[in-house]
Amino acid sequence: MTEGADVMTDPSPSERARAIDPQRVQRALVCMHFDPAFAAAVRGDAALELPQPLSPAERALLRGVDPRTLRTDAMRRARAVQALLEEFPVTAALLGAPAVDAFFSTPRFREAVFTRGSMALAFAAHLELHAQVVGGAATIEAAAATVRRAAQLPPPAVDLVDARAPLRCAPRFAPRIVPGGTLAWYERALARLGPDPLRALAELRRPWRKRPPRGGQQFLLIEGKEGGSLALGGASEGLVRLLLAAAEPRPRAELAAVAVALGAEGHEAEELLDELVGDGLLLRVAAP
Amino acid sequence: MLDFLDRARALPRLGLGISTEYGARRQDGALDPAALRAAHPAYAGFLEVGVELAKGLDDDAQAWAARGWPTTYHFLDVNLDEPEDLDPAWLAGMRATIDALNPAWLCGDAGLWHFGARDRGQMLLLPPILVREAVAPMAAGIVALRAATGREVLPENPPGAAFVGDLHLLEFFAAVAEAADTGLLIDCAHLAIYQRSRGLDPLAAFDALPWERVIELHVAGGSEADLDGLAWVDDDHGTEVLADTWAITEAAIERATNLKAVVVECERNPIPAVVPLFAAARERLPAGFAAAPT
Repeated sequence: MTEGADVMTDPSPSERARAIDPQRVQRALVCMHFDPAFAAAVRGDAALELPQPLSPAERALLRGVDPRTLRTDAMRRARAVQALLEEFPVTAALLGAPAVDAFFSTPRFREAVFTRGSMALAFAAHLELHAQVVGGAATIEAAAATVRRAAQLPPPAVDLVDARAPLRCAPRFAPRIVPGGTLAWYERALARLGPDPLRALAELRRPWRKRPPRGGQQFLLIEGKEGGSLALGGASEGLVRLLLAAAEPRPRAELAAVAVALGAEGHEAEELLDELVGDGLLLRVAAP
Repeated sequence: MLDFLDRARALPRLGLGISTEYGARRQDGALDPAALRAAHPAYAGFLEVGVELAKGLDDDAQAWAARGWPTTYHFLDVNLDEPEDLDPAWLAGMRATIDALNPAWLCGDAGLWHFGARDRGQMLLLPPILVREAVAPMAAGIVALRAATGREVLPENPPGAAFVGDLHLLEFFAAVAEAADTGLLIDCAHLAIYQRSRGLDPLAAFDALPWERVIELHVAGGSEADLDGLAWVDDDHGTEVLADTWAITEAAIERATNLKAVVVECERNPIPAVVPLFAAARERLPAGFAAAPT
């Protein structure tokens, strides 16, 4: 082959400047619809905090948008906030609705838009910034959001043949370690919000001052079920730590060693893993 | 495969019809499709069922389909230009719904139905970015959906306020239709909204569209609004149809030689309030187009 012929070359700077990826433009436009501050930034000259930079041509297209046209649906952001309040009611009571609303002006939100992500899961990740305030309550609600979605997806491919296949925690189960007393505190918090948490949140004058517990440890297992319901309860420390160790696929022997380290007898470890596979908590997955 | 104009001959003529979506009739006084068909058969020749698979079909849609009455399937949850959206689980749901409805074809706004993943709180509807680069991905999605379902897929021009790009909306959809070798659904109310937003005449760029590919038209009411001096139209499917929309409808009927269906979108209004709309639409159609279904 002649050197240089049929070889893909990087676009030149001028080609990059003219390049238009309609999906990237559309995603930036979504962020502009949700966040007037971001829309103003697009119209300005400063660099934008985006997962993918806009080309000059793309930014020029977006600069041409009349900002008033972004506000014709006055309830757009409020509906999105409501969706988060429905899934994170106790977290929202601890933070206050304005802090939930502020999520739509964060890089986390824009990342979800640009990467086909989940708004709720991005919000869950965003809560790490508020861990001191929301504590174990947010851990529970974030885990619930995760398993609720996992339960609606087809389960991962399972190796039905090889009993020695690597193991992983089934995605519809979330083992979590939270401060001691968190579950009871969380249940009381839900009761305090009453049968209509959205209304209670709307009527909340200021965020709750009473925070979730901080000291000690409590071991929880949260299960997402088909249809969107959840099962939330305490579990043994050993089970939770073993499932946490299997968050990513691991060789069975490695996981058996974890079980032994957690207190199982050598012969019991294998039986335990089989039992957890039988109960659907662990999945046998195809070796990479 | 035959080209679209050949395939279009096999599509049934559905006449004048109505639209619904999940839970539309929960609003007091909202239109009961079966009651409209009983009282005015020529106005309800078919039901266009708006489907978001996460919600499914409501009682009205299921009852209509169970009687074997004609339908079309209007998707409300797929970004045609994102190949990831045609995932196996979603396609399985769509096929099951097609089995239930037996629609004459699939159609729906070719825009952004959700941002990020298809997930709670992430549904919306924005028009496509009107640039040449957006044509091929949109066309590819239409072709893929047609192949996956075995049904014709008619992209519809979406409503919007913020239109971005240098192509006229009709130029964009003309290019998509050619690239995907497909038919089109032109929403006359959405087109009126677009033309106004660009300060154009209602019939601007009409000659850009291959009208022989237009299989279906939508007519709907809209409300004029003002936001800080921005005049815009809310596509509220009310009973007041803009004069611009009627002008577009008349011009479209004149040009659309393969027209098979016209939907009057008014699902949240009582029958007495919408009968004049259907009568006005019927007056504009060729004699016999909206004959009572048999």
